Amino acid sequence: MLSRRKAAVALGLATALTVSGCAVGGGSGASDGTVTLHMVESLTNPVRTAVLKTLIGQFEKQNPKIKVDLISPPTEQADQKIQQMLQSGSGIDTMEVRDITAGPWSTNGWIYDMSKDLKGWSGWDALTDNAVKYSKDAKGRTYYIPYGFYGLSLYYRTDLVSDAGFSAPPASWDDLLKQATAIQDPDKRRYGYAFRGGTNANSNAVAVIEAYVADKIDRDNGFKLTDGKTIFSAPEALTALETYFKLFKKASPPSSVAWGYPEMVEGFSNGSTAFLLQDPEVIATVGESKSITKKQWTTAPLLTGPSGKAVQPVATAGWGIASASKHKAEAEKLIKFLSEGDAATTFDKKNSLVPILKSSADDTFYKTGAWASYVTMTESPDTYITVTQPRNSSWWTEWIQKSDSEIQKVLLGKMTPKELLAGWNTYWTEKWKSQ
Amino acid sequence: MINKESTAGRAVRITFLTGWLIVTVFPLYWITITSLKSPGTIFSPSIAYWPEHFSLANYTGLFSKAQFGVYLTNSLVIATVAGAVATVISLLSAYVLARFEFRSKTALLMAALVTQMIPSFIALGPLYMLMTELQLVDNRLGLTLVYIAVCIPFCTVMLRGFFENVPDALEEAAMIDGCSRLGALFRVLLPVMQPGIIAAFIFNFVNCWNELFLSVTLMNSDANKTVPTALNGFISSFNIDWGSMSAAAVLTIAPTMVLFAFASRYIVQGLTSGAVKG
Amino acid sequence: MNPSTTDAKARQAAPPPTDNPGPAAARPAAPRPRRPVFTGRRGLSIAAFMAPAALFVAIFVYYPMIAGGQMAFRNWNLNDLTDTSWVGLKNFKGILDDPVFYTVLGNTAVWVVGSIVPQFVIGFAIALWLRRRFRFRGLYQALIFFPWAISGFLIGILFRWMFNSEFGVVNDLLEKAHLIDTPIPWLADPKTAMTAVVIANIWYGVTFFTIMILAALQSIPDEIYEAAALDGAGKVRTLFQITIPSIRGTLALTVLLRVIWIFNFPDIIFGMTGGGPSNETHIVTTWMISITQQGDYGKASAVGLIVVAMLMVFSVFYLTATRERNGKTS
Repeated sequence: MLSRRKAAVALGLATALTVSGCAVGGGSGASDGTVTLHMVESLTNPVRTAVLKTLIGQFEKQNPKIKVDLISPPTEQADQKIQQMLQSGSGIDTMEVRDITAGPWSTNGWIYDMSKDLKGWSGWDALTDNAVKYSKDAKGRTYYIPYGFYGLSLYYRTDLVSDAGFSAPPASWDDLLKQATAIQDPDKRRYGYAFRGGTNANSNAVAVIEAYVADKIDRDNGFKLTDGKTIFSAPEALTALETYFKLFKKASPPSSVAWGYPEMVEGFSNGSTAFLLQDPEVIATVGESKSITKKQWTTAPLLTGPSGKAVQPVATAGWGIASASKHKAEAEKLIKFLSEGDAATTFDKKNSLVPILKSSADDTFYKTGAWASYVTMTESPDTYITVTQPRNSSWWTEWIQKSDSEIQKVLLGKMTPKELLAGWNTYWTEKWKSQ
Repeated sequence: MINKESTAGRAVRITFLTGWLIVTVFPLYWITITSLKSPGTIFSPSIAYWPEHFSLANYTGLFSKAQFGVYLTNSLVIATVAGAVATVISLLSAYVLARFEFRSKTALLMAALVTQMIPSFIALGPLYMLMTELQLVDNRLGLTLVYIAVCIPFCTVMLRGFFENVPDALEEAAMIDGCSRLGALFRVLLPVMQPGIIAAFIFNFVNCWNELFLSVTLMNSDANKTVPTALNGFISSFNIDWGSMSAAAVLTIAPTMVLFAFASRYIVQGLTSGAVKG
Repeated sequence: MNPSTTDAKARQAAPPPTDNPGPAAARPAAPRPRRPVFTGRRGLSIAAFMAPAALFVAIFVYYPMIAGGQMAFRNWNLNDLTDTSWVGLKNFKGILDDPVFYTVLGNTAVWVVGSIVPQFVIGFAIALWLRRRFRFRGLYQALIFFPWAISGFLIGILFRWMFNSEFGVVNDLLEKAHLIDTPIPWLADPKTAMTAVVIANIWYGVTFFTIMILAALQSIPDEIYEAAALDGAGKVRTLFQITIPSIRGTLALTVLLRVIWIFNFPDIIFGMTGGGPSNETHIVTTWMISITQQGDYGKASAVGLIVVAMLMVFSVFYLTATRERNGKTS
């Protein structure tokens, strides 16, 4: 009986190992020549995944020999997951590459430089200058083609602003402080501003500082002044942060110390806050809100500093190819498909992103409603200056965690804005020196 | 019998037990109520403890937006298989650790305890690489195998305790009657330990059912996701959809609740091994 | 691969038992007398019984953990893997130089002690009272056991929703009871955030103590209580002189396991606060997760090894202390 039992256990283990061992070499190529591409997205959300699936369906119809398997991990773990897949070198052909992940991933040799293959691509001419610019890194290598751009504008509640006696939405940070303070009424669970104190708090704090130093900012590196010092060393930076933190104290929900992206958007769409500084993709989300109607809100251009200028920090992401992919040609086909014509337009419109195609400038879609403010901003590039952020630095993730945590310290009264700025100044000065 | 309690003692006992019951059940009540509110009324300044209108919108949305049925099936299959296999394997190792004396026994028990001390996050990267080598990434069998391995150490320690509570005499008698060691194990020990074995299985099942990080790491495609991964996905970068999330939470809790309703008796009974006292 | 080679491998994979198959008679005396019916096949059967467990745990638990652990001594940063050389103890030094580490250690202490003491006291009380039969006891047990069936991550989400400062039910109840005037930003204020996550953890963990203690209590023979009653022992005396001493072994083991688990339990905090605000609710393991998110796997692994070391030291001290007091293990 013992030996029979032993044999059973051994058999079970053997089966397990056989199943695991014998599948080796299967790969994704099938005998009939059909190729399966594994595509992984990072900034996943249900609406976007649905759009992507539709587009992929069209692509598969055009290319019957290519199947695309879309993988959508939860956003919070997505980039880590993609890293793991890239490192393991299997199960991934094409994926979403963000401006902040392109640097590390290319350094590690995980993503493929498409520049040679794309030399004669007809799609280049249709792309906006920005899209072309961001599709190449400092050395001219193409690791991803942007699918759209993120940039800030001010979402505001038209009804609450006029009820509080203001005829126009705020144009400057000072205006915002005034209006948000007037609207704030905690007893009614109504708050002025959806403050970002949690994850990525640094992005909005830096946006304020940049607006206040707009006249002397280095457009190729948004953290640098034209004289080579950091923006955090400028005296205007302190004024900027003082205004910004006043906004938190006087006109924001106390819990916003911990608010990140989802909470801010939720805070605006559930009707409890009057102002929100966010990317255009939020237009679609707020549009689906069941608490506020489309008549109650719209957007205004990004807020300006004392000099009347604002600085638009550009962020982007796009599609790239894994170095280890065995189907680069097919993956490129897919990326081209997504970056041209209808597919590109559909993706940007449905996800409300700043478009990558020149032709969108004539599209009425981008001139109406909440999008109007984006047109205003693109039409006056001297007032709304677009500046490249040093988001490809290899220490960017470290910076995000450091700066986020320190902003919370200031909000909680454990650090002064002055100390914060001094620390940030030292941090960046040293990082640049050691580079 | 336990000695009689005074009226005051009885009042304290009832108050305390009732109080704790409310504390325990309230969050469950609250998540259920939230899931049944129609979207849009969740964020009203005056909080409704009993909604005027009940709505199943969050649930229907869940099944149309996401393949929640698929996730539930995956979780159920993986947790059941992994829980059962881990229990069987642990029975063997626990038996040896309870009934034999050998030099490396303490080391083995220590090795089991150490697995509980190591933060699993350390292992996720290398585990992914290993599973890639074995072609078991994004594979239900792969996740099941990992879950079995993760369950074994504690399950072994737990079952060993039950074995030790069963007097040697039971087995000896059986062996004198002509049973082999294995025969004694199956015919005498296992029936006596049944409640304990059920408790161990439930423990494994619940752990696998609730596991998040390994599942997120090892599963890619929608068809292979488990419920906790899907739930985590609801915290999308866009908004925290409290309505759908509550509905998903209720659906996640429900199966384990049912299991508990049937099995809570066995859990205590099993751990007590009361069966051998009589 | 055929069954017989796997079998051979399986035996090799469990070296400890196979290495020491020495005859039974030569072994030191066991604490209680064991059956002397060991044959020469004893070592073989130990190996065969241990093999499946050992194999599974070795492949899927120990191998990845050791492979992950070695990163602690290397420059292993996902942001730049071009140089992954061995750096000795540099990662450990980096942690000891990081002021956040000490905040996190303090938080971990509050988290563990703040959770385990109430869990123990409430769990013990409920177990004592559940010993007495009453109508619906089965139903009651099933209801109060259910937190145990929910995942930590989900509990985090659940309590995050209830502790929401604007729309959360906790603030609403407190306001209705006139205990507060303005809503408390529970999870945003460092003074209350830790309290909130600890409350969630207490809610979750009481069950475990209740189950374990109740099981232990039911194994105490009624005769002992009857004897005590005859002696005229009061309630308190019975509790301290009979009940607690009888289940001391279970209590000690349960507390040890809980300390290890709570120490190593990032799920609730991960779901509720993510370690914020400003690191105030980071415990060692959530901090470790946030370090992996920065890509610094070397440092994260080093944190992991520090956790293991601390828990090992604690376990050894704890086991020694409780064993001495118990006199024997139970």
